[in-house]
Amino acid sequence: MASTLLTDEELFSELKRFGFTPGPVTENTRPVYLKKLKKLREEQQQRGCRTGKNRSSSAIINTTGGGGGTAASRPVTHDVTHLSSSRRPGRKSSVLGFSSDESDAEAPHKSKGRDYSGRAGRSSGVQKQAKSGPVTTLTVAIKRQYDTGTTLNSNSSLGPDGQRSISRSWDTCDRSNPDVEGRHYDESGEDDVCEEESEKNSRSLNGRGASRMDASKLAGDYSDSDEEVGGLGAADRNRDRLVLRLSQQIVASPSHVAEREYPIGEKNSSKDNPPDTLNMQKIQGMDEEEVQGDLGLPGGPRCHSFARKSVYVSLADNHRGKIGKNNHINDNDGSSRSNSTSRYSVGLRPRFSNYSLPQTYRGNHSNHTLGSNNSYSQTVRKKKLDVPEDELLQQFKREELASPGSFSAHYLSMFLLTTACLFFLLLGLMYLRMRGSGSPEVDGVIKSHPFGSDFESSYEKAEKDVILKLLLSLHDHLAVIAGQHDCGDQQHPNRSLSIDEASAYLLAQNKEFQDFIFTSLEWIIRTGQDVGIRLTGQVADIPVTDVSEISRLESTHPKMPFMCRFRRAFLSVLGRILLIAAVVGCVWSVVCYMKYRWKKEEEETRHMYDMVERIIDVLRTHGEACQENHDLQPYLPIPHVRDSLVQPQDRKKMKKIWERAVNFLSANESRIRTETQRINGADFLVWRWMQPSLSCDKTSLVPSKVWQGKAFPLDRRNSPPNSLTPCLKIRNMFDPVMEVGENWDLAIHEAILEKCSDNDGIVHIAVDKNSREGCVYVKCLSAEHSGKAFKALHGSWFDGKLVTVKYLRLDRYHQRFPQAQACSTPLKASSLHLNTTSNTNTTPLQHHGSRDSSGFL
Amino acid sequence: MSSTSQKHKDFVAEPMGEKTVMALAGIGEVLGKRLEEKGFDKAYVVLGQFLVLKKDEELFRDWLKDTCGANVKQQGDCYGCLKEWCDAFL
Repeated sequence: MASTLLTDEELFSELKRFGFTPGPVTENTRPVYLKKLKKLREEQQQRGCRTGKNRSSSAIINTTGGGGGTAASRPVTHDVTHLSSSRRPGRKSSVLGFSSDESDAEAPHKSKGRDYSGRAGRSSGVQKQAKSGPVTTLTVAIKRQYDTGTTLNSNSSLGPDGQRSISRSWDTCDRSNPDVEGRHYDESGEDDVCEEESEKNSRSLNGRGASRMDASKLAGDYSDSDEEVGGLGAADRNRDRLVLRLSQQIVASPSHVAEREYPIGEKNSSKDNPPDTLNMQKIQGMDEEEVQGDLGLPGGPRCHSFARKSVYVSLADNHRGKIGKNNHINDNDGSSRSNSTSRYSVGLRPRFSNYSLPQTYRGNHSNHTLGSNNSYSQTVRKKKLDVPEDELLQQFKREELASPGSFSAHYLSMFLLTTACLFFLLLGLMYLRMRGSGSPEVDGVIKSHPFGSDFESSYEKAEKDVILKLLLSLHDHLAVIAGQHDCGDQQHPNRSLSIDEASAYLLAQNKEFQDFIFTSLEWIIRTGQDVGIRLTGQVADIPVTDVSEISRLESTHPKMPFMCRFRRAFLSVLGRILLIAAVVGCVWSVVCYMKYRWKKEEEETRHMYDMVERIIDVLRTHGEACQENHDLQPYLPIPHVRDSLVQPQDRKKMKKIWERAVNFLSANESRIRTETQRINGADFLVWRWMQPSLSCDKTSLVPSKVWQGKAFPLDRRNSPPNSLTPCLKIRNMFDPVMEVGENWDLAIHEAILEKCSDNDGIVHIAVDKNSREGCVYVKCLSAEHSGKAFKALHGSWFDGKLVTVKYLRLDRYHQRFPQAQACSTPLKASSLHLNTTSNTNTTPLQHHGSRDSSGFL
Repeated sequence: MSSTSQKHKDFVAEPMGEKTVMALAGIGEVLGKRLEEKGFDKAYVVLGQFLVLKKDEELFRDWLKDTCGANVKQQGDCYGCLKEWCDAFL
């Protein structure tokens, strides 16, 4: 659904409208271009805001169309024309193609649209399009308005009896069968197209431009003459207007729901159209004459006058066709609304703007009368601006929605976090409760006293009560004191009370307690259980056995205020969390460190192997050099090798690697022997290359500087059809690092000439010895020669490398090689040993032959 | 860019043939997987997209970001290597 909101063509033309030339719009490029379009629109809007002082309507046009102010109306119209014509690229003509399309589209709606006039019928087509996407609804609705203008215009240009043709076409419009109407309509227009297609184009352009202009109030003459038209319209016109107003009011009464509104509109059209169209024909004539006379442009350039005419024709159409248009709007509303409702039901994201915009639109429309055409188009335009933007956004949103992975991931992390928080909160609260639940239990213990039956029997009830009460209050008091001490209260420096303090407190509570203090304490001692009061003597650790020994009393169940408890619970929970976090952090860092170590180790090993290879390489080349040049020593001192391989600034860093590499070589490399040699009077450890025979084998096996055949056949895909310039740039002929000796570039010269031996047009060859890509530049006598050389060289294997060729501009070549300007004598290969080409190694050829087809485009 | 990666050099040095998308500079295993899931399994498919976007740097970077979430460097690497490849072979 989302991807069909803007069709590919529309997207393309929209982008073009912003002066951006997009590539093909495909499934894959579509989101990219949508984004680009949005960006362009935003930019445009920002620029549009700066042109401030204009009327809001023109400002809006600025933002949609680009360019500013009065002068901008031209480009805008151009763009619009382009837009509508490129929208149906396959059609013969934009306008007619469009209308025929519509009539096709309406065929299935026959039952619904039977009573519609032509416009109503077309609007059903619009409705159909609307189903494919809200954006198109609106743009099409607007375009349709233009189209009526242009269609009329083209009809009226049929010749001297243009008016008649118009009335005829409108006659057909009123026929009940929309199919017939559509076809007829088409035909009448098509004649026109065939006759004067180019003219029509310009006219339709003007027509559209004009109707656009009138909307932005840039055509001042429009409003004047409109009044005149209104005045001249006389009774017919007034009647028309009345009817119109009526119908508008009916249509725009505020209580509609889409379904209800629809039949009303339909009824309107069917009821009001017949008289209306009758009027239309008359007014048509009057209007046109009036216009011609009024403007004084009867004999102007043809297309110009037609343009003018088309303004009014389309205007008249606007006026008279208001009922029809009302219908459209209703239809549009209905469709877009049902669209949005369906979207609701489907469960896609609803957009309120989608919903509310049509309403404001209708509100505007219902208020204005014939004269306020401006505001009508204004609102249309505004809507056009807003809605696509909106839809674009929506499209994006939906696309986002379509990839639920990121969304769910986001929510998942949030969910996890919340769960973790809740868990810890719960944990804390549980902890709190556990702490707090200690004291009431003890209360119970004391009430159902633990002193046994002895206690029951030795006291009377009153005494028992007093003792228990005493103990209870003592317990509570001690608990409070201990709790407050634990909470860090400064008033209670001790957790316990001395016996004197306790008895003082108890006496203050109740005089009766005086006799029982020691009795009750004795009972506590006697039970030997934990009753919540701990009695301590002078020496803390020895349990008290006699009342006289007691010096201090302490609660075993401190009772803390809630805040204190909460704070303690919170702190302890926090402490544990921190502990866990610390542990996790430790583990994590250890793991990270291990990973880092492994990685580093791996890297070092890789460097080491790299180094080993380089050492072997150096020694091998040295060994080869020794074969050729017997003056050289057949060994290399180790420090020398190191200094030649490792940059001075890296030496410290690479020391370890180097040592590892040396150890590796001495342990695992059989071709290298380490020995001590005296060089220049000093003893050095040296390496000796022990494999002299291999180099000979190598040269015999793989001949260097030889053409090895083609990698792929040349055809249109990988080479230009005709040669462009006489100069070529050949790449990948050599690797400057690998080249040894003095005159290797001459070998390449020779190789090229040999390859192009049938081509005697090569006049200059330059080998770029320093290029990393192995570039060789070739100048030929003419473009044909270079073409031949291109064919010979491009895609060949040379010395194990795939050669590619590009054309170079001649001036560029001369700029680089000024001496080449004088060259005109063809070069010849000095020694032709063609046997090398027959020496082709077939394996790489086949290997690469299989991949050339897709590798080269 | 003053220096290019080894991957870049390797890619640009020869026709891309049947190389996988991971052979592109800037496309590692993760991005490669994502691209493969979206049907861009071979380097030449990405090249196709690159060409369809008319070698436009901005568009291609945008596309790459949307398709596989490549960061700026990866985008730049991938764009650079395709561009250079095209300059060399196209």
